[in-house]
Amino acid sequence: MRLNEIKKGGLFRVKNLNCCNDCVSRLMSMGLLPDQEIRLAHEAPLGDPIAVEFNGCHISVRLEDAAHVEVEPI
Amino acid sequence: MSTPLEGRRIALIGNPNTGKTSLFNTLTGMRQRVGNYSGVTVEKKTGTWLLPNGHEVELIDLPGTYSLSAISLDERVAVDVITGHGMGEKEPDLVIVVVDVENLRRNLFLASQASELGVPIVIALNCWDVAEKKGLQIDCKLLEQRFGVPVVPTVAKRKSGTDGLAKAVEKAIETKPVMARPQWPEPVQKAIRTLKEEFITKRGEALREGELQRLIFDRKSAVCERLKTPPQEYQPIIDAVRDQLYKDGYQPDAAESTLRFRFLNPLLNDVLERQAAMKKRSTSESIDQLLLHKFWGLLVFVSMMYVVFQSVYTWAGPIMDLIEGVVGWVQGIASDALVATPMLQSLVADGIIGGVGAFLVFLPQILVLFFFISLLEASGYMARAAFLMDKLFQWCGLNGKSFVPLLTSFACAIPGIMATRTINDNKARLITILVAPLMSCSARLPVYLLLIGAFIEPQYGPNVAGATLFAMHFVGAFVAAPFAWVLNKTVNKGRKPTPFVMELPHYRVPQVKLVFYRMFESGKEFVVRAGTVIFAMTIIIWALLYFPRSETIESEITEQYIQEITGSENPEPTDIQWTPEAEAELSKRIDATYLEQSYMGRFGKFVQPVFAPAGYDWKITVGVLASFPAREIIISTLGITYALGGEVDEESDDLRSTLSNTKWESGPRKGEPVFNIPVALSIMVFFALCMQCGATLAVIAKELSWWWATGSFVALTSLAWIAAVIVYQVGMWLV
Repeated sequence: MRLNEIKKGGLFRVKNLNCCNDCVSRLMSMGLLPDQEIRLAHEAPLGDPIAVEFNGCHISVRLEDAAHVEVEPI
Repeated sequence: MSTPLEGRRIALIGNPNTGKTSLFNTLTGMRQRVGNYSGVTVEKKTGTWLLPNGHEVELIDLPGTYSLSAISLDERVAVDVITGHGMGEKEPDLVIVVVDVENLRRNLFLASQASELGVPIVIALNCWDVAEKKGLQIDCKLLEQRFGVPVVPTVAKRKSGTDGLAKAVEKAIETKPVMARPQWPEPVQKAIRTLKEEFITKRGEALREGELQRLIFDRKSAVCERLKTPPQEYQPIIDAVRDQLYKDGYQPDAAESTLRFRFLNPLLNDVLERQAAMKKRSTSESIDQLLLHKFWGLLVFVSMMYVVFQSVYTWAGPIMDLIEGVVGWVQGIASDALVATPMLQSLVADGIIGGVGAFLVFLPQILVLFFFISLLEASGYMARAAFLMDKLFQWCGLNGKSFVPLLTSFACAIPGIMATRTINDNKARLITILVAPLMSCSARLPVYLLLIGAFIEPQYGPNVAGATLFAMHFVGAFVAAPFAWVLNKTVNKGRKPTPFVMELPHYRVPQVKLVFYRMFESGKEFVVRAGTVIFAMTIIIWALLYFPRSETIESEITEQYIQEITGSENPEPTDIQWTPEAEAELSKRIDATYLEQSYMGRFGKFVQPVFAPAGYDWKITVGVLASFPAREIIISTLGITYALGGEVDEESDDLRSTLSNTKWESGPRKGEPVFNIPVALSIMVFFALCMQCGATLAVIAKELSWWWATGSFVALTSLAWIAAVIVYQVGMWLV
């Protein structure tokens, strides 16, 4: 499943990242790498963007960019 | 004794929200200079740091970045400055990496990248107090040992640790400590060797190993732009190296993060001790449960924006009135003092003092807005506001950060455009600046009130008048949306937007001192940078309205006026009673004639045919032209041209009835009224869309460039003209 599809409450693990996307490159330099645990913290009122939490920080990502990150539920 | 520290340059680098700017302010105090990096709109801040031993060093505050991979302009500027390619200045002698204790790993990633560029590094562990409060303990000694560079705990807000930092810096400038670097696997080393051979040995490029790494790891590195080798030659070399790296099992785009974090992780073992288990949910997250809520979050957001908007729109009003009052009072004094020399009197009162007033009047709005912006940013709410609003702006290339600047522009585009500095994405910032003047600012209101009051209300009643006023406020926004979309598709097509990946930082209590500091900084900068231009424009327009001033006009008009009153061809001067009313009437008529004879009046008559398709006569044309420096001037200009005096306002019944009774003096529509509903609407639409604000132009020129200011002036004026013609023509066809 992809990061844009995750629901609140669950904990997920990053499986794969499409690093050709600039947003993903940015996320990677913030420490989002394979095996990193991640969860959904907030959704914006219009459904997009979402705020995900990893390594103790909250990062806002747009759904179209989040689709480049593959995750699996833990 | 030699002073090894004099003339040294030190750069501050760090992730956003690490308190880097706060540390910069603490270290430099008020000794700062703000400008732009040449050619780009990235803010450049430098200051002087007075070390405890009395030496002064130059401190450069680099933009906050997560990485040096140069995806965004900010990152590019950071790389350029560290490698000594920024603005042709020499490289810094030392880089202080400001590290947020709570995000040690991520922050040290940037430190590690910076050290590869071959500069000595000192690490400032900032927000030490927050960490202590949260039960985080960091073993600084161990960190120093493992990384081989000084590590100093600091609390930027409380000045604590700055002495320690100063000592570490003094020593490090001598010893030039090198930070531990990753041992790259053989394929990466091979790639570096190949590039070294190709670029440094064969082509004599001056590149450091860290820059070669950027060429390998970044898809489109900014370092490329500095190569002397032409693109058709360097691109194949870089592509080949990256292909080889991929074949060797390292995806070049992912290799750096993967390898560098793999290097950092073991070094951070045992450094971080958590005394108490971290709370499951941080305070910030609990606050966000409310502030990012679908309903309550939006409610809080709307209320906050309402306060911000009201404060700029309404609360700044009394101070603005006060400034206008004082300017008027000074003008009065100057006029009285110079009554013997009419030209000097007008130059000083209308030109010089009026020119100073023209930019001072914006100051209250700017100060009030930046007070709120500093509060919102320092508290961490600004990122949340952008998060909430982002979806509304995505489709036209903007992002959530455009909201506050555009909202502010409904009060005034000047503070609105200055507020775009909070947008890190340069393309989004550019588009926001270009559409901001379309938001219906408060200076358009008098024009709407005058015309609606004179033409719409008498004919259609107060309800339609109210609806028209409401609609006029959204004409600009309505046009702005497709305009932004087109700009996004055409302007800077090649430049990719900066990825909208934004941290929602922990909420913090803003420091009052810094909030006020930022507020006064923005005010000062406006006066210094834009004020001078606005002043110059006012003087030029004054001259165009004043000159030429023929000596004979006064006597001719006086003679005409006496003839008119007495009704005789050859009246004796004694035939007329010079009542105060008669004198006032005469002086208004003289002013009207002066205006008609001025360069501006002549020019208005000359270009009137251009505005004829929109239904304007020469008097409206002069009004439109004279109000290019500031929209509200049209009211007083119309007052003068219709011989009612320049003191009329939009509520003036005299002006309203004069407008309704004005008839065409010549041409195909001779005898018909000049002003009808289509003309009134056409003028309002023109004012809604046109860039009739010298101050906005000056601010755009300062934030972007004169090229952009001219471009947006031409674009918006053409847009306004086209819309005005359409409104008039369609209106006449319907009537």
